[in-house]
Amino acid sequence: MIRESLIGEFQRIAGKENVLTTPEALKAYSYDGTTNWIHEPEVVVFPTTTQAVSEIMKIANAEKIPVTPRGGGTNVSGGSVPWHGGIVLCTAKMNKILKVDKENLTATVEPGVVLQDLTLRLAKDGLFFPPDPQSFLGATLGGIIAENAGGPACVKYGVTKQYILGIEVVLPNGEIVSLGGRTLKNVVGYDLLHIFISSEGTLGVVTRAELKLNPIPPVKRTILAVYADVAVAGESVFRVLENGIIPGKIELLDNWVINRIEEMMPMGLPRDADAVLLFEVDGIEEAVAKETEKIMDIVRKYGAVDVRAAKDQAEADKFWMGRKAGFAAIFGKAKTVFAEDVTVPRGNIPALINKCKELAKKHDVEIVVLGHAGDGNLHPAILTDINNKEHYARAVSAMDGIIESAVELGGVLSGEHGIGLEKQKFFMRVTNPVVVKMMKDVKALFDPNNIMNPGKIWD
Amino acid sequence: MKDLKELKKIEEYADQCMKCGFCSFFCPVYQEERMEMGVARGKNYLVKQVLAGKQEFTEELGNIIGKCLLCKRCVAMCPAKTQIDRVVVGARAQMVKEKGLGFAKDFVFRKIMSNRKAFGNYLRMAKSFQWLLPKTEGNIRHLPDFLKALGQGRNIPAIADKFLRDLVKPVYKPQNGQTAKMKVGFFMGCAMDFVYPELGLKIIDFLTKNGIEVVVPESQNCCGAAIYFSGDFETGRMLAEKNIAAFKDVDYIVTGCATCSSTLKDYQKYLPDTEDQKKRYEAFEKKVKDSTEFIVDVMKVPLEELKLKKEFAGKTATWHDPCHLVRYQNIKDQPRMILQALKGLKYVEMPNADMCCGMGGSFSVYHYDLTKKIADKKMDGIKATGADIVVTACPGCMINLIDNTLRHKMPQKVYHFLELVE
Repeated sequence: MIRESLIGEFQRIAGKENVLTTPEALKAYSYDGTTNWIHEPEVVVFPTTTQAVSEIMKIANAEKIPVTPRGGGTNVSGGSVPWHGGIVLCTAKMNKILKVDKENLTATVEPGVVLQDLTLRLAKDGLFFPPDPQSFLGATLGGIIAENAGGPACVKYGVTKQYILGIEVVLPNGEIVSLGGRTLKNVVGYDLLHIFISSEGTLGVVTRAELKLNPIPPVKRTILAVYADVAVAGESVFRVLENGIIPGKIELLDNWVINRIEEMMPMGLPRDADAVLLFEVDGIEEAVAKETEKIMDIVRKYGAVDVRAAKDQAEADKFWMGRKAGFAAIFGKAKTVFAEDVTVPRGNIPALINKCKELAKKHDVEIVVLGHAGDGNLHPAILTDINNKEHYARAVSAMDGIIESAVELGGVLSGEHGIGLEKQKFFMRVTNPVVVKMMKDVKALFDPNNIMNPGKIWD
Repeated sequence: MKDLKELKKIEEYADQCMKCGFCSFFCPVYQEERMEMGVARGKNYLVKQVLAGKQEFTEELGNIIGKCLLCKRCVAMCPAKTQIDRVVVGARAQMVKEKGLGFAKDFVFRKIMSNRKAFGNYLRMAKSFQWLLPKTEGNIRHLPDFLKALGQGRNIPAIADKFLRDLVKPVYKPQNGQTAKMKVGFFMGCAMDFVYPELGLKIIDFLTKNGIEVVVPESQNCCGAAIYFSGDFETGRMLAEKNIAAFKDVDYIVTGCATCSSTLKDYQKYLPDTEDQKKRYEAFEKKVKDSTEFIVDVMKVPLEELKLKKEFAGKTATWHDPCHLVRYQNIKDQPRMILQALKGLKYVEMPNADMCCGMGGSFSVYHYDLTKKIADKKMDGIKATGADIVVTACPGCMINLIDNTLRHKMPQKVYHFLELVE
């Protein structure tokens, strides 16, 4: 139990309106984007300065109160759920874009900046921040860094860790340190910056970040390829890449998703197609035209039954809208959805897809496959209902099977969502115990009292 | 077990939410406060907690559920298509059932607003005191600080000298001896009745000029928006019945108020308790038309024949989408078509045309500070257009836009689109 006097302290530090303790507020901060991981904090604090974060951490450390950092609460691993109660330290009000530096192609931001707000601001200067987690409407930069988020654009542009030059971070004991810097190259001792990226909020609180930006490519083109066999679509992905083209995005939709899209917003996709691939190429006009042509040739050669390039941006937008709507449709069609995040080396995508089909049959559940095929990161989704115990058990078995298969195929159990609470049991199963011990030692070094987001990654 | 009848009705909508949190980007309240209780996901979760028996209808929950503009921006953008408006209104209804309305709303909704004559009399009485309020400009008056409930320093329009009800005839035949193409019931709405009566007369004039017979039933009442959106379904149904009875023998029911048209249409959505009510409310919905869609889609007025009033020649206009038009009724193109067809008027789109102005009916009474912050963003959009006039089709929005353009000392005047037409 947090003492009443400490609540007063938090109010003094952050301002009265920035400390919440009503039962209703605590309930509203008990969840994230996952379905079933729920636990209430004892207090929610919204600091507005690095100094305030530091003071809060000092108190928490002295009193050994758990602290769960949280931004928009859009993560899908349980990462921002206050699993051991204590304090939710919400950075949502530290949401200033401090600087956009056109000369150096960098931006300086506070942790609570929402990605979409950043994207809109940067577009005014013809710039963009490439990592594109699909939760961009709510996800904050602090969370994006903590989860090392990625998205469709990763096939060409990489994930968050490639775009963070430096961070200011408050350590569990309240000390404020800067890691990394503002330069592209930086080899000054151990690369501690990257220990924080994907640390899932277990090592400290990011209070400021220096981001690397890219200029927005002037031209984009979308190509849609239709397949009679989803595994053949999977093959097309690496055929395109091995032939020397790296598209900006390659997304895969299976038959189930195609049909949901056609129900919601008919765009003339063949409803009997087993899969569709969406490619986006970007760059200067001449290159985009050439690459478009080449991709169309390659996918035809490797088994696409139909292929077309969007005739204009409006049609391209429609295709991408369909991709988004398809993902949403999954959640609209089932009470409970396991949205898996397995990632395999690209050459093994067809094998993984076939495995999913087998598992669906074996456990008699619906497994929908879509995802960022371009980087081997698929989101097989299992549709179930947590209230239907028998069905739910079958779904869990199918999910176990998917993860085991992915690991057997040389992959990992999470490409971009993180471990959090959701994937702990698999984490312990597939990770070398020596490596787990190294991670725990690192954690103990930064956070000897284990107050930062305890209960995450491992139990 | 408690009787959660009203909540049970909306349980299926509450279950739709998958907690992705995307609503936060579209919620005007969250954008200001950045707190989870303000956004659809948070409200929805708390309502589900009540349904699960883990949360009581506390005063705090009442405040949380009350702090929603019902602008439906999040509903329009929700990937899971969660109808949070139904959840919020259902929760308010459940609350009213359990706790009552609270004295102020109880008195206003049940004793005044639901009784047309009484409402008029109270406003007349209020009017006789309004000379006490300092005049800001034209017929706008400045609410003094002691009227805290209505928000400090707010500019409100004066109550009309003569109410529309006292100015209208029960039946208007088409002008110039035309044979009636159809018979339309004109629904006044409170704002046109008491504040903008000239606007009501203008609509009647426009319709009859175009060969339509207009009837104005005296027994029509308030549409019930503020009442049933606050959760008072009982009074809401009473008003629905009165209005349906008042507009029996007409081809269409037309109103110039976006809130009224959507509220009348949505009786079938929020209010039915029985199958019979549902059927009758649905039949009623089919006849209700907002003036914008009525002119374009039903009358099919050749838009190039519309004439711009002289005083607006050479002016630049921008359109504000009322929530009750653009999202509640999916009416977006029709008013723009009208404005763009008016020769001599230049039209510019504002960047955030479909964003709520911050009024939200009684929301602005309880959360005027928030209303002002939300309106600030709207004002930024208007300023960016460089337009001379802001045009809309909802007296509620007009009142708020006037208040805020004055507060920002902006030159733009606010008009109902029909005021521009000859």
